[in-house]
Amino acid sequence: MDPLRAQQLAAELEVEMMADMYNRMTQACHRKCVPPYYKESELSKGECVCLDRCVAKYLEVHERMGKKLTELSLQDEELLKRMQQGTGTA
Amino acid sequence: MSMPGVVVLPEGVGAVYTGRCSQIAAVRRWLVPAAELQFPCAPAEGGSSRPGRGVEHPWVCKAIMAAPPPSAPGEPGPPPPPLQYSLLLQHLVGDKRQPRVLDPAVLGGIPCPPKSEEQKMVERVMESCPFKAALACVGGFVLGGAFGIFTAGIDTNVGFDPKDPYRTPTAKEVLKDMGQRGISYAKNFAIVGAMFSCTECVVESYRGKSDWKNSVISGCITGGAIGFRAGLKAGVIGCGGFAAFSAAVDYYLR
Repeated sequence: MDPLRAQQLAAELEVEMMADMYNRMTQACHRKCVPPYYKESELSKGECVCLDRCVAKYLEVHERMGKKLTELSLQDEELLKRMQQGTGTA
Repeated sequence: MSMPGVVVLPEGVGAVYTGRCSQIAAVRRWLVPAAELQFPCAPAEGGSSRPGRGVEHPWVCKAIMAAPPPSAPGEPGPPPPPLQYSLLLQHLVGDKRQPRVLDPAVLGGIPCPPKSEEQKMVERVMESCPFKAALACVGGFVLGGAFGIFTAGIDTNVGFDPKDPYRTPTAKEVLKDMGQRGISYAKNFAIVGAMFSCTECVVESYRGKSDWKNSVISGCITGGAIGFRAGLKAGVIGCGGFAAFSAAVDYYLR
């Protein structure tokens, strides 16, 4: 598979991934920052501040996990490649 | 990751989201413009796709099979093509991903028009701590002025002359006294209001929650600062008193 094809597939996957991440982030930050008993309809200042922080942390965690996962899968593939070359030339 | 090159997806991804048409539109926007996509659904091909998911996700059917079958032993086989899982991941979450315009309507949220820059700036100013403090200052000034004038009206100690205790004060004296008391009360109320509002806003920004503790803490700080000028004990009493007062007001308001 060439990189162009991989990019196209990545675009499809990315939509799904972003949608999933958005929904999870909304649920998690709502659960953490907005107490369930509502006294008014507007978001107060404390809640707004909490939501900003929650979104920033969530996205940073997402990015770091992604980088770590890419790194791990690269290592896995190196290992696999070496194994295959070993069995191929054996 | 037991089988090389196979992407395993969680169940049900994509099935629950609204705006499927806008998602497809987003995909088309995000793709390389020159390439027209064809995702043939051939579940038998590749042999490693999961049966039954071909209807929803046709691209999964053509699994990313990049690892060739191991060569027969004894033959120098062709060099294996690079495994594609990490390449895909690099495009997805690694270094090769592109910056995207994320629209909540596409991602499954409630579609709403984006806010303009002016609206955002105005909202940012109105929610900021200095603005709230200034608002409380002005409000306190007005309230204090009214209160001072009112108390000057019911105070019987205006224009008292020790030589003639039964003399009624002149209008000029009364008005002057009202003005002085009004200004003095107004200044005090303005300062107290600004301090209370500022500390409450700062405490709320720091804690990230909005509950009754914010006003109690800021009441203690304000009362303590006011009373501290008369000594430590007065400061402590002021802290307790003002905190109790603002807790009572908060309880009534909530």
